[in-house]
Amino acid sequence: MKNFIFILLLVCLAQQSIAQCKFSISGELTDADTKATITDASILITELNQSTKCNTKGYFQFDSICPGHYNIIINHEGCEPLKLHAIIKNKSWHQAIVITHAINNLENITVKGKKNKIINSSELKSSQLESTRGMSIGESLQKINGVSSLQTGTNIYKPIINGLHSSRILILNNGVRQEGQQWGAEHAPEIDAYTANKLTVIKGANTLQYGADAIGGIILVEPKLLTKDSNFSGETNLAIFSNNIMGVLNGSIEKASKKINGFAYRISGTAKKAGYARTPNYWLQNSGMQELNTSLLLGLQKKNSISELYYSIYSNEIGIFTGSHIGNVTDLNNAINNQYPPDYIKNVTFTYAIDRPKQKVQHQLLKIKHLQYLRNGGNWQAVVAGQFNWRREYDRKKFSSSSDAPQLDLGIGTINIDAIYNRPAYKNRKGSIGFQQMYQNNAYNYRLFIPNYQLSNTGIFAIEKYEDENIIVEVGLRFDKKYIFSITQNSGKQYGNKSFSNFSSNIGISTTKIKNTSIGVMASSTWRAPNMNEMYSDGLHHGAARIEKGDTNLVAEKAIAISSNLNYKTEKWNIDVNAYHKWINYFIYLQPSYPPQLTIRGAFPLFVFKQTNARLYGTDVNASYHFTHHFSTEAKISVLYTFNQTAKQWLINMPSNRYEASANYTFGDAKIFKNNYAKVNYIYVAQQKRVPASGNIEVLQPNGSISYQSDYLVPPNAYNLLDAEIGTQIEWHHKNILITATANNILNTKYREYLNAFRYFCDEMGSNYSIKLKIPF
Amino acid sequence: MKTTKKIQLFSIIICASLTANLSSCKKPTSQNEEELITTIKVNLTDSATNQVNTFVFTDPDGDGGNNPIQFDTIKLKANTTYNCSLSILDESKTPVGNITDEIIAEGTDHQFYFTPSAGLNVSVGNLNTDNNGLQLGNTAKWTTSGNSNGRVQITLKHKPGIKAAGDAITVGDTDIELPNDGFYTIIQ
Repeated sequence: MKNFIFILLLVCLAQQSIAQCKFSISGELTDADTKATITDASILITELNQSTKCNTKGYFQFDSICPGHYNIIINHEGCEPLKLHAIIKNKSWHQAIVITHAINNLENITVKGKKNKIINSSELKSSQLESTRGMSIGESLQKINGVSSLQTGTNIYKPIINGLHSSRILILNNGVRQEGQQWGAEHAPEIDAYTANKLTVIKGANTLQYGADAIGGIILVEPKLLTKDSNFSGETNLAIFSNNIMGVLNGSIEKASKKINGFAYRISGTAKKAGYARTPNYWLQNSGMQELNTSLLLGLQKKNSISELYYSIYSNEIGIFTGSHIGNVTDLNNAINNQYPPDYIKNVTFTYAIDRPKQKVQHQLLKIKHLQYLRNGGNWQAVVAGQFNWRREYDRKKFSSSSDAPQLDLGIGTINIDAIYNRPAYKNRKGSIGFQQMYQNNAYNYRLFIPNYQLSNTGIFAIEKYEDENIIVEVGLRFDKKYIFSITQNSGKQYGNKSFSNFSSNIGISTTKIKNTSIGVMASSTWRAPNMNEMYSDGLHHGAARIEKGDTNLVAEKAIAISSNLNYKTEKWNIDVNAYHKWINYFIYLQPSYPPQLTIRGAFPLFVFKQTNARLYGTDVNASYHFTHHFSTEAKISVLYTFNQTAKQWLINMPSNRYEASANYTFGDAKIFKNNYAKVNYIYVAQQKRVPASGNIEVLQPNGSISYQSDYLVPPNAYNLLDAEIGTQIEWHHKNILITATANNILNTKYREYLNAFRYFCDEMGSNYSIKLKIPF
Repeated sequence: MKTTKKIQLFSIIICASLTANLSSCKKPTSQNEEELITTIKVNLTDSATNQVNTFVFTDPDGDGGNNPIQFDTIKLKANTTYNCSLSILDESKTPVGNITDEIIAEGTDHQFYFTPSAGLNVSVGNLNTDNNGLQLGNTAKWTTSGNSNGRVQITLKHKPGIKAAGDAITVGDTDIELPNDGFYTIIQ
């Protein structure tokens, strides 16, 4: 019976398809910014594997279409591919399609030129991003050459751009400056990595529209454009990792309204849970973590405006490896001399439980944006955003009867108001002026580390850009005033208000005159006011076993940077060379000082914030070569030198040389499996030999003598890692399911990384396999 | 088609439950602050005369901030036996917190160690024990012999769930370990 119905159905379907392949899919394309028709877009129907280009009137058409579901992808230079879904039942499909250049039109002005980029920026998107799914933002960004991570154990990754991090880099989450307690080395960015459709890193202060203090660079976390499809669509992401048995589940649904033209929304959520991580030889006790995030985006696109409301909440709980939380310097020396954690820490079994020491962070963001296109061809945009970051750090309890309260509890609220006017383009020239105002309030409970304070920052900027076929020139000027007031509860000490102000400027020139080659040179002069922790921190840093003291007399850092970028691209080759040189005067850093601070737990090294003149120079090189359409190889080199000019020695805690080589093979499409690829990646990280030769830290030598060094331990040895990944796409119900499998540290290499704060205590994670699924619907 | 709908439903459930789960967004009402160990008092009672001498180390603002304000020299008579009892205090609070009681209550997780420096003629023994019969050491007996001087280090270790007989001093984390290798001690 069943078979009969099935056959009947088949016959019906077959008849239908023969009989009714008479429909068409067509549309007209216009540019949301300029209202002009788009003439150079290509349109693909994935199910039929048919593509076409639109004509000079922006019109395209596919004929002889059978009833069914179709995915239409519109590709246009400088835009994200636009995906549409057409259901053909009994009539043809026709739509007027408006193409938006990017969700944040601001970014377009400075980051991208039409043909070549003026600014040295690198992106992580599509398949590269898919292979990092499940990992945190900081860990994902390590894929970009020149970006490394300041690590605290296996869960906390903080991005470093060419040696600079924390308050020297700026993260723009959804167009809003991420403001939390970003000064701390163990404070990772509080952003759900799944909300990013693209991660962009701008190295150096090559754009001034986001803030003057980003001496190191800017990270843009950009979400996907809202759908234009009035049917429900979305995706489910699943990822499972073998090492810490981490499971990640992410879902998003979106829909454009049928009733209100131009209105669309998206809801998304991510849940993540990991247990103890494992080094090649032992479990890392209390290294589990969990994360729970939700976000909501509402957008209304009208003929002349785009309005957007975005809300997100991120919360996590991260266990801190038990063996890293030490009582005093004796414990630290014991941990270092033993070379591995003691048996009572090592000999544990896997669990998901998270105990003290741990940290809990919650970050909320509410953003309202309005973009208005003007009749003269220009536009203005206003963004109002509020953020609240609540960080709690829990040390180990002294007694089981001790209070459950955290030791450190910091709440920081920030309001940002940004306004920008983009002048209409006139004879190859574009320009924008903007105003930014920020207000911040910090309040703490329990132990003092940084005081309560309020802060206001006002900035104005102007950017002008010239662009023709061969050359792009960009100049920017910015003025900022930072005012810190109401500094209270500083354990009895009284501090007055503080104010810093100055100009920043930059200039960039890029040319494509030479065949296959583009060359760019950028120069900038920027500054950064000392951060709150650099001026006022006063307390014990657990795990680091040191007492950190701020200095209220610090002055602002001043940075002059030049960088150059060379890109050579042919069918076979793609070579990208970036060289930079930065002079940072009054560079603020932590210096071990003498004598140590005496406490009831013995003498702790005292680290004081000091200023020096620093010089950073280095190069990042990427070269890829396509042997055939299927087979390609890539090599990456990242080298950095950082020098303390005053003390005539190297700066501490800087990334060591890093080299990578990879081979990528793309297989032909099979019947079910499409876009198949396999990739092997080899990483060599050199030992950091450029460290200060001497310091004030007492180190007991094996022969019993005491020497004074800049660190408790010499930087760990060089290491080699082997990673691999494979990926494929399976078509299922008219949608492509993406499957990616990755293998990290395949050889289960035992190693320690210099930039991991836990290098004193334990090895890095051993081999880690993962499977990731992306199921769109 | 049905399966697609199921995935849709699944995703909606995920998103909804995630939203619902974020209920712990409230700040807690004020909880007690953690105990801070600021002070150790060494009470030494001459077993013959019952005369009590107290020697103090105190850093009332805790780790960081100002340096310790009192670090006494222990003066002892030669060839004498003293009964030692320790009191551990939190003087950053008013009223002063007594931490000794908590250490005794959770004695199975704590242990004091006394380490006289070489050449100082004092030996420390008879440490009292916890509920499991393992050494605790908030009371002990100090026995001096000939005139000498040196240092006595007093260490408090926290060993939750890992305390065992004959533990080395390196086991656990350190709650107390005095600077400069301990109290300067003169026997005369």
